Amino acid sequence: MPMPQWRIAAGCAAAAVLTITGCGSLDERRTAASEAALAFEEALRTGDGAAACEALAPGTRDELVKSSGALCPRAVLEEELSPAGTVRRVDVHGRQARVRLAGDTLFLAGFDDGWKVVAAGCEPRPEQPYDCTVKGG
Amino acid sequence: MSNRRGFLRDNSLGLFFLAAFLLALAGQALAGRTEYNNQLEAEQLEPVGFWTYVSSSDFGVDVMENWQSEYLQFFLYIFLTVWLVQRGSPESKSPGREGRESDEEQYAGEHAAADSPRWASAGGTRQWVFSRSLGLVMGTIFVLSWLAQSLAGAAAHNERRLQQLQAPLSWGQYLTSADFWSRTLQNWQSELLAIASMAVLSVYLRQRGSPESKPIGSAHASTGVEG
Repeated sequence: MPMPQWRIAAGCAAAAVLTITGCGSLDERRTAASEAALAFEEALRTGDGAAACEALAPGTRDELVKSSGALCPRAVLEEELSPAGTVRRVDVHGRQARVRLAGDTLFLAGFDDGWKVVAAGCEPRPEQPYDCTVKGG
Repeated sequence: MSNRRGFLRDNSLGLFFLAAFLLALAGQALAGRTEYNNQLEAEQLEPVGFWTYVSSSDFGVDVMENWQSEYLQFFLYIFLTVWLVQRGSPESKSPGREGRESDEEQYAGEHAAADSPRWASAGGTRQWVFSRSLGLVMGTIFVLSWLAQSLAGAAAHNERRLQQLQAPLSWGQYLTSADFWSRTLQNWQSELLAIASMAVLSVYLRQRGSPESKPIGSAHASTGVEG
């Protein structure tokens, strides 16, 4: 039986909306990104360097190790990032996110196993990218 | 069997372009995903699968920026050729016939023929809508696809900004950004050049058998003659 025209139209409209907005609920992605940022901050607060490194994106981890000359769990704790506080704002676009906390701003990227911290300890600069203490190369 | 062959032949122009459109769109998706993943891998970020890319704002804006300009091109061509002419062009009416023309010339209202569409003689709103339906539909698709370009473009632009550790822009800020206008105008300029070329070159050049061209023996000054 041929598909009714309204169903074809509805399918096309849904595909167009998905194309514009990206797959998945935006709220779900915002929540997942802020949870990943808070998990990173909690690992720093409790001095769990291994967990903090696990929350970093591979490129950021590599750069941290390269620039400090120490192993990642020690290097990430030595950065002495500001205490995070509560989540103030989360922006998610595609597979990139910015999470603004009371005491810090983090940038994250989506990976198959969840959101990872790309940059932390970030301070805004007018008309320029954020100045970040920890970031990829 | 012969019915099917008749359908294919009767609709070969539309079917060819629809099939070619789908192939080109698939090709754009494949090439676009490769380019997108090259950028992600350069930043040590994870590459995306085909369907994730096809549903991304990056693919969406690339598709929509081309759609809007194509529909704008046809909308302008349909609308402006009511009022503007190009002497000698098969794409134009003869000078002196500018305007919406009479019902008699348009087979509308009481001059409608037995096989005219019903709304050609319906009067009132229906006839008003039908007599502008081609331009209205093309213009509406242009506006919607330009709006979609702005929404997908803002999302794609912000994704890149976040990747570069920059704050995202609001939709309003994006509408005044260089990215939005660069994408828009680079498409508009090429479409406008194509229309100007077609209107003028078809005065002097011929393509035997094409209804887009005058017959090869037509005078350069003959206007509105199709081959």
